[in-house]
Amino acid sequence: MKPLPSFSLHRPKTLIEALELMWELEEAKPIAGGTDLLLLLRDGTCKAKHLVDLGLIEELRFIREGDDQIRIGATTTHKQLQRSPLMAEKSPALRDACACIGSVQIRNLGTIGGNLCNASPAADTAPPLLVLDSKVEIASHAGSRSIPLVELFAGPKLNSLQPCELIKEIRFPVPKKSNGMSFQRLGRRKGCTLSVVNAAAYLELDGAICRQARLALGAVAPMPLRIRDVEEMLRGQKISQQLIGEAASACHKLVNPVDDVRASAAYRREMSCILMRRALNEAWDRARRNMQ
Amino acid sequence: MKVAFILNGRKVECEVKPNRLLLDLLRADLGITSVKKGCEQGECGVCTVLLDNAPVNSCMMLAQQVEGRTVTTVEGLADDRLMKTLQSAFMEDGAVQCGFCTPGMLLSAYALLKENPKPTAEEVKTAIEGNLCRCTGYVKIIEAILDAVERINS
Repeated sequence: MKPLPSFSLHRPKTLIEALELMWELEEAKPIAGGTDLLLLLRDGTCKAKHLVDLGLIEELRFIREGDDQIRIGATTTHKQLQRSPLMAEKSPALRDACACIGSVQIRNLGTIGGNLCNASPAADTAPPLLVLDSKVEIASHAGSRSIPLVELFAGPKLNSLQPCELIKEIRFPVPKKSNGMSFQRLGRRKGCTLSVVNAAAYLELDGAICRQARLALGAVAPMPLRIRDVEEMLRGQKISQQLIGEAASACHKLVNPVDDVRASAAYRREMSCILMRRALNEAWDRARRNMQ
Repeated sequence: MKVAFILNGRKVECEVKPNRLLLDLLRADLGITSVKKGCEQGECGVCTVLLDNAPVNSCMMLAQQVEGRTVTTVEGLADDRLMKTLQSAFMEDGAVQCGFCTPGMLLSAYALLKENPKPTAEEVKTAIEGNLCRCTGYVKIIEAILDAVERINS
């Protein structure tokens, strides 16, 4: 492993200070958990003269509910999300995704904002956050703006942030009482591995009728994908095993996977359908339980 | 740059470069050789330390980032009852082969049992998912951790 190149390290205590540094310093990169960034710096994929460490900024680390929104600070760790009672109750799909990222050691360091900014097509927090209809609150020295999560992903390992911008928080509407959601993943093994395919489903039911459906798949395209065509197949329909089967199979032609060290494109395409079926089944189950 | 932190119960202060990894600070500068250098990419877990009681990969942290925090390695737990129980169980149950992964395994097991004194076998496996054993002695390691659980609770 190559040694870390040299850089200067800045450790601001407030978001405002961090944003000023990001604006003033030349070739500055933010570092949160560091579990992806340090590797990119070592192999030269990423270059930085300055690192701005976000670890001391208390105001970026929180999980809150208010005004019908759930809000998660950018440097909240996977471990904090995995342990949060609010996540367990209101967004189990995100909780389940955080629980299987990396290892215990990685989950203690890695952050949700980092996982999203790293923009891996296989990022495990992306599919559940996509189906929760998340928005990303972005800040810079000049102000803040909010974008739908899907717009954060600009390509494989590429985010759409300006160099001086930071993610402040991720927010999504509190899921309706009649919802059910699920996260599913397939890795080459269970622990400490990237997803070969991951999937999330969110359903809102009115009796047997599906009122809302949002679906997402990861590691099957250059960016995490919302599967809107299949969502359309479900909305307004009576949910059944048969419909779930048809919806899951329809993912086959909507994904665009690649061959790589972890799996072939053909295998990923098949598994997209299978994981989506599992996600829909679990979401349906959970929705029925939540309605009781 | 200076970094001051609590290492194994004692306050230490060192001069470090911004790009110094916590792993190198501990091993090379401070002589804490139970912390091993393995994959250096957060996968093998031989560099595991407890940061404020939570296991982290010391190859994934800059030395500066432990400013004001508490770092614990097996050296600092030599007299700790739970750690001693785990060590005895590892030795007596044949959970140590080459020994390279052992300090990291012990720290991951220790952190688990501190939080969850009666884990299931599945919970033990999850706790050590970030620690690779090159001798592939996982079965005995898992058995030893479960044995330590019994010893503590009996």
